[in-house]
Amino acid sequence: MNLTLRVNGRSVDVDVEPTTMLVDVLRDQVGLTGPRVTCGVGLCGTCTVLLDGEPVSGCILMTPLAVGKEITTVEGLPEDDRVVACFDKHHAFQCGFCIPGMVLTAREMVDKGHAGDREEIREGLGGNLCRCGCYLKIIDAIEEAAR
Amino acid sequence: MTWHLPTSVDEVLRLRADNPEAPIVAGGTFLGILVRQGLVEADDWISLQNVRELKGLGDAGDLSVGAMVTHRRLELDPKVFGVWPGVSAAFHAVASPRVRNVATMGGVLADADYASDPPSMLVASNAVAEVASIRGTRRIPVENLIVGHYSTALEEDELITRVLVPRPTGTAVYRKLRTRSQEDRPASSVAAVVSGDTVRVVVGAVSDRPHHFPDVCAEWKPGDETSARAIGEEYASRIDYIDDNRGSAAYRRRVVGVEVRRALMAVGS
Amino acid sequence: MTTSERQPDAPGASSAVTGINPRITAGIRYPVDGGIPGEWHLRIIRSDVPAGRVTGFETSLLDDEIVFISPDDVKELPRFGCQIADQIVLTREPKFVGDAIAAVVAPTLKDARVAASLVEVSYEQRTAVYDELAALRDESPLVHERHHTSESDSAYFDMRPQDGTNVCHRFRIRTPNLRGREEVAVVTDLTDPDEPLADAFDDAEVIVDEVFQTPAAAHVPMEPHAANAQWVDGRLEVVTGTQTPFNMRQDLAGIFGIAAEDVRIVVPPMGGAFGAKTFIRTEAITALAARLTGRPVRCVLDRDEVFNEVTRHPATVRVRLGAKKDGTFVAKRIWAYVNTGAYADCGPGVAQKMGYAGVGPYRFDHVAVDSYCIYTNLPPGGAFRGYGAMQSVWASERVVDMMADQLGVDAVELRRQNLLREGDTFCTGEVMHDAHFEELLDDAAAAVDWKRDGDRAGKGVAIMLKGMQTPSTAEARIELLPDGRYEVQAATADMGQGASEMLTRLAAENLKCETDQIVVCVPDTDRVPYDTRTTSSRSTHMMSRALEEAARDLIEHGRVGHGHVSNDGGLDPDTGQGVASSHWHQGSASADLVVDEDTGVIALSTLYASSYAGKVVNKHGAELQQEGSMTLGLGTALFEELQFTEGQMTNPNLSDYNIASALDVASISHRVMELPGAEVHGLGETAVPPVPPAIGNAVASLGYDVRQLPMTPERVLDARREQEES
Repeated sequence: MNLTLRVNGRSVDVDVEPTTMLVDVLRDQVGLTGPRVTCGVGLCGTCTVLLDGEPVSGCILMTPLAVGKEITTVEGLPEDDRVVACFDKHHAFQCGFCIPGMVLTAREMVDKGHAGDREEIREGLGGNLCRCGCYLKIIDAIEEAAR
Repeated sequence: MTWHLPTSVDEVLRLRADNPEAPIVAGGTFLGILVRQGLVEADDWISLQNVRELKGLGDAGDLSVGAMVTHRRLELDPKVFGVWPGVSAAFHAVASPRVRNVATMGGVLADADYASDPPSMLVASNAVAEVASIRGTRRIPVENLIVGHYSTALEEDELITRVLVPRPTGTAVYRKLRTRSQEDRPASSVAAVVSGDTVRVVVGAVSDRPHHFPDVCAEWKPGDETSARAIGEEYASRIDYIDDNRGSAAYRRRVVGVEVRRALMAVGS
Repeated sequence: MTTSERQPDAPGASSAVTGINPRITAGIRYPVDGGIPGEWHLRIIRSDVPAGRVTGFETSLLDDEIVFISPDDVKELPRFGCQIADQIVLTREPKFVGDAIAAVVAPTLKDARVAASLVEVSYEQRTAVYDELAALRDESPLVHERHHTSESDSAYFDMRPQDGTNVCHRFRIRTPNLRGREEVAVVTDLTDPDEPLADAFDDAEVIVDEVFQTPAAAHVPMEPHAANAQWVDGRLEVVTGTQTPFNMRQDLAGIFGIAAEDVRIVVPPMGGAFGAKTFIRTEAITALAARLTGRPVRCVLDRDEVFNEVTRHPATVRVRLGAKKDGTFVAKRIWAYVNTGAYADCGPGVAQKMGYAGVGPYRFDHVAVDSYCIYTNLPPGGAFRGYGAMQSVWASERVVDMMADQLGVDAVELRRQNLLREGDTFCTGEVMHDAHFEELLDDAAAAVDWKRDGDRAGKGVAIMLKGMQTPSTAEARIELLPDGRYEVQAATADMGQGASEMLTRLAAENLKCETDQIVVCVPDTDRVPYDTRTTSSRSTHMMSRALEEAARDLIEHGRVGHGHVSNDGGLDPDTGQGVASSHWHQGSASADLVVDEDTGVIALSTLYASSYAGKVVNKHGAELQQEGSMTLGLGTALFEELQFTEGQMTNPNLSDYNIASALDVASISHRVMELPGAEVHGLGETAVPPVPPAIGNAVASLGYDVRQLPMTPERVLDARREQEES
């Protein structure tokens, strides 16, 4: 089926089956590399995209469910995004594979006022796994971004 | 493949009656996992994403939760949090914000996944599901809705349209036992809701469905540790446990009593 | 933040990076992002049985265009393996559930998946063995009939395969007085009285002799294995995520019978590796598919395949420690049974490291270690962050606490009394230099407010040493570019540890220029000189020396400078004497926790690690490696465990296998111990091994003696129940 998706502020036409997951269409047809597949069961967060500003697991989201919503990937954040700048300042990354998902999750947390203290930040990050173990610096970065 | 986009419950029911094999897509998280793994295939899909009447949240009397209301909404809505804190807590306990942004009230009940947080609290809160088909509507207490491992009392063509949660008259406590990472499904899920002098204790996530033993709860003396312990032990002895990665059946047998006791002491005070 | 504001010293400062580091904004391409136009896709068909023979393939349902590759297509290809040549590109005799027995290649990934599902395989099953000790019994089947040492440069020490058994390598340590005795080749019984060496304990007044276990675990790199191969004018070009490009080049050349110079390995930055991306994984079958189809071929593993591809070696370790009543350590005897699964991979090296790390940073009169690398029909074990040290340090540091209990002395003081000091001799005969164990021990103890002879309930400490691969070689080149910048050419693979940042800073420091004058080329065996590999926390140390030399050479000779350094040494496999490590990774850890006595749930209030770093090149990088190691150690200690039923892995996914989340790390703090003027000490793994025993000792102090990792709530409750019953 042909669908029109709104991705990072642009309209994009894609050709999918209902069973094509959003992360795969974004990677294979829209050419983005920010959303990734790690666990494939919506648990780890590397597939995170924002739908109307809210983080969702792109690896298990059937693409038609994203129609009519604004999809944002890390590539769609403005160049001077404060969350991104804070991640850079605190060197809150190692291999980087989980980081776009972390950044998008953090972006919403900060926007909605859910990054009040380290405890709250930790809670909000629970579903974003980082095997390199950058959690402490990521929490530092988000703490600063929320100030 | 066809992705159907009905805009009313009636349309959904008709589509479902015409396509009995068509999966109904609510939030799509559970279904998405199955589809990605190749375990579910279909030619027709019925999506609820545009059915406005399923998205309502009303709190004037009882809590009226449309089937498409997300976990996240129940977690964050100030009225839900203020008047039905147990419900808010149980939905907040689920997975991560990403899952909660998408997963729905109707979905979590229809999936009947045993390793899930909300069912025990909904049963303890005396929640009732309103269910519709082309043959009409009926009400099923959530306690009778989940009957076994991934199975419900729903007929093939029935759709959960909303869930009603009575306005509480006492405290509610939700306890989620995590045995591995703090980010995990429950090893046990205990909900205790007080109504006057009576308590409803429900244990989930340890067996194929949530368990409630009203005869045992009848022995409750609020705030009394001995009675809480006895109730815990009786609950623990009656349940048929599941082995999984979060705990063996033997381990669950040991800890369910503890969790029940702690929940009762928390609501009793 | 603009380019001009960027401080060379700033976090994130790295190779020619201007502005925000591209890892944050998906500005780099990982192996999984790559693709070659016209490529076809490979799916591996894997054995359903743990041991046996494939008797037939039914492929009649495959479309004509699908290319099916069977073991017959690889009959002519030689065996390979980094230390034991026991692997074959596709096998007709699978040795574990998941072993690669065939492959399909198709124009799209979807077609390849469908094709793979249409192939039917019939088997003749054989008896399998899964446990490392069961595999030593006479009646157990032999996983491999013969053990052939590899010609690869990764076989950097002498092997001692025990023919006729499942032991493909035996590593021993025998301090001088214990040599030349009549001993059995392999000790197969955990209760063996060890008669030939019993006199080592003659002067010991107290003896603790206990057994500990660690399960298989998963690396869980967030990015799966992804490889592309194509043949260009008779040369094989592979783009893949690997920590071992030169080893891979040599092994692929050997497999295809071509010169090493005719194999090119290119390594984009990886989304994590932790040892999972070492040596040949899918590259040989992918290269073969490319050769057979005449097209570029791509292979990306699914998550369950990543789990099954390589694991952390399960191990059973018995430790016998003897001391005088005054606490002086007299003797240590270790038996380490290392379950290497169906193929050796680098199991022999892991067995060696496990062997000497288990001795610990202590003085002894007598030390004897037997470390056996044992075949079973489980998926192969391989390099895993910590490289064997964790399994033996878990056992060893728990035993030290048990000894303290028996002697009635403070557990920190007992360690202090016996710690190796500058100039002391380690059990391998090498003299310890740059030793900082006492300071690390005190640091860990202070972090949990340890009071000498006080109440230590809920508190535990551990201290350890591990080695850096010795011998090894590192070469680096620096080339002056036409635009006046310098290009560093080094094979250090970037897997998140900050390789290119490290190389940039070191080059800039040695050339006395700004970091934005440096670019680092992607590791490409056509462009960079030889380096042993990116493992063992060796790269910063070795490259710091290689770059120093290369810079000097460049400054002296003009356009290109070359540095070539090595660390010499190695251990005799029968006595364990020699140089295990040209310098030592030294680390301590401590934990303060409570245990819920009704549920067994452990709640940490403090988890601390202190590691000796010597000179730190990149402060943020060092902290991140430390935090990452501790986080892995935490998961290892509390919940990470691969599970098997009849050899089949039952939890190869992130729901059934938990790794630590942000919610688990609230208690973590640490120190990276620097010393001005010291040499660079690798930090990539140091804080992994001491964490589990620090937690284990704290848990034991509350009355729960858990011997098996992970210390799940159920094991904790069982440990108390056993104690109450005994």
